[in-house]
Amino acid sequence: MPVRPARVGRVGVIGAPVAKTVVVAKAVSPGPSPVAKTAVVAAAVTPGRGVRRRI
Amino acid sequence: MTSTEQDAVRSLDELGPVDYVVIEFPAGQSNFTGEMAKELLALVDAGTIRVIDILILEKSDDGSIDAIELSDVGELGELQALEAELAELLAAEDVAHLAAAMDPGSVAGVLVYENLWAAPFAAAARRSGGQLIANGRIPIQAIIASIEADEAASAEGD
Repeated sequence: MPVRPARVGRVGVIGAPVAKTVVVAKAVSPGPSPVAKTAVVAAAVTPGRGVRRRI
Repeated sequence: MTSTEQDAVRSLDELGPVDYVVIEFPAGQSNFTGEMAKELLALVDAGTIRVIDILILEKSDDGSIDAIELSDVGELGELQALEAELAELLAAEDVAHLAAAMDPGSVAGVLVYENLWAAPFAAAARRSGGQLIANGRIPIQAIIASIEADEAASAEGD
């Protein structure tokens, strides 16, 4: 099914082919259950995680 | 500068960041219940985002791409009102670029939206002389990987 004529011949806004997000496999890899991971991530993005990073 | 030009500049200055997402549904794994449309409309109604464009892409097993306009989808339901407001920002050449991320045999929804929630802060940053030089998204999976790496390093140190 063709796109609308208004889309044809215009300069695009995306610029280059898009690559698939590569970290998706990590989410389905063996390890803690999704529920457990959710708790860990929530803790990681909560203020006062612990060690202050040094750049 | 005419008043129309001044309005255009003001409007541009108050425009929020525009993002896009490509949501892929692998072959045989789609389960459309209307929940996605409901949540999208809730974001629009709350003034969190403004939907600029929507396309549905199909990538066949041989890699050919079919782009479907929202208006060509049979029963739009509550999305009907949204469809009438689309700006059709994406060009035909964008379709190929976006579909490059898709697996053969899959279907994907492409959503382009303005982050209305971020517009006042972005405008304030611009008025303060700032300019956006980088942005991005940190996938939850990357955070998990970071935590797991920390834990592994700690375990080795014990």
